[in-house]
Amino acid sequence: MNVVIVGGGIAGVSTAAALRAGGFDGDLTLVDAGEFPYDRPPLSKDYLTGAKDLGRIALQPPQWYDEQAVRLINRTRVTGLRPGGVELQDGTLLPADRVVLATGGGAARPPIPGCERAHVLRTAEDADRLRAVLRPGARVLVVGAGLIGAEVASSAVDLGCEVVLADPVARPLAAAVGAELAAWLHERHAVRGITTVQAGVESFEDGAVLAGGREEFDAVVLGVGMVPETALAEAAGLRVDRRIVVNTGQVTSNPAILAVGDSARSRDGHWEAAQHDGARAAATILGAPPPPPAAPWFWTDRHGRHVEAVGHMAQADRTVLRGSFADPAFSVFGLRDGLVVAAAAVDDPNAVRAARRMIDRRIPADPARLGDPAVNLRTLLRP
Amino acid sequence: MTDGIRVAALDDVPEGEGIAIDKAIIGTEDNVALLRDTDGGLWALNDTCTHEDASLADGWVEDGYVECPLHSSKFCLKNGEVQGLPATRDTCPHRVEVRDGEVYLFPNQTP
Repeated sequence: MNVVIVGGGIAGVSTAAALRAGGFDGDLTLVDAGEFPYDRPPLSKDYLTGAKDLGRIALQPPQWYDEQAVRLINRTRVTGLRPGGVELQDGTLLPADRVVLATGGGAARPPIPGCERAHVLRTAEDADRLRAVLRPGARVLVVGAGLIGAEVASSAVDLGCEVVLADPVARPLAAAVGAELAAWLHERHAVRGITTVQAGVESFEDGAVLAGGREEFDAVVLGVGMVPETALAEAAGLRVDRRIVVNTGQVTSNPAILAVGDSARSRDGHWEAAQHDGARAAATILGAPPPPPAAPWFWTDRHGRHVEAVGHMAQADRTVLRGSFADPAFSVFGLRDGLVVAAAAVDDPNAVRAARRMIDRRIPADPARLGDPAVNLRTLLRP
Repeated sequence: MTDGIRVAALDDVPEGEGIAIDKAIIGTEDNVALLRDTDGGLWALNDTCTHEDASLADGWVEDGYVECPLHSSKFCLKNGEVQGLPATRDTCPHRVEVRDGEVYLFPNQTP
């Protein structure tokens, strides 16, 4: 059997890895537009600040592709899905019994005058262009204070920039980490000297028009969301509803074509969710049982603090604080009907690791013990 | 060195957790994470995650692996093999022995 994976992000590479780990012994090809598949979370952090170069953020070392018998076709785009294969931009037709679309997404650019000149951050090339203007003293406007925007703002301050961070939402990430922690996280920007503005941007012409009027900036960065890349799928007649429509096995409306990652997911999720998509796609191709579902998890690093969240905080009907917001490390648990449904933590990652097991295994938790920092959370996992 | 280096008492390492042993004490290139599995087994790996600068001794230990506290890379306790992204490189295991409740480390020896 021939499998061709289109796209070398975490979803595509995870599909390849899971296929081989599951015993797939057919031909396996990964087509990627870049130099090699790399990890994207560092693009707004260590790669943007120059602490790590592209080689240091490779998703797999170069020899991995040989060791795993994965044929990597780099610096190439797939231009069409054809019966029995995929067509590359030079006209080559790669035979494929199964195609896995891992085409990711592009940065959203809202229809605001001058928006096309703003920086975005999806690729290493985007990060290279942005880094070139994040010089000490540069005045930078970051639009959007979610994960990418907050991380870029943090990195820009690290690089000596004067940063204005604009978002119309008072407490970005509140749905993911809860209102209190979201407010605390957003306040960290001001502590680092960032000016936060609760407003959208009306225009990017001649600087930017914010709530207080027109201001000049050396660079504007947009971190306002992602647009799934579905052009190949649409051209091939697959069902697309903003993202490529897939079933629980990642199969599209064409049984020979699967889709994973940002271009396909119908639910919320980040880096790990893309990895899980790849594992499910591989299981489908192998005819193996799908991996068990797991609560969504993400991390973000900003202003020297490591933040993690798991589950669905918006589902919680009460929260329990473990520690204090003034502590070096603390966490918040979200409960519903006596079960943990979410947790978010600052510099307390094992609280999230405990919580994700409580969620996935539906282990009831005593709120008083959850909230007592003296109680080892591991003991709450035991029957 | 045939008897190993006494580095801790077994009770110093709670089940499902780890402690870091300073490289200066044992003469290794990296600190060593002593990790106690959920079945009570004791293992030693280089302490620094091969993905980013994080201490595996602060990680989550369960069912034969340790999960990095920063980005959840997993490493096999027995042999240091990486079991999941974002880390891609194995880490170095070291042999440990427990004698009379004391933990002895044999740096750079295969378990």
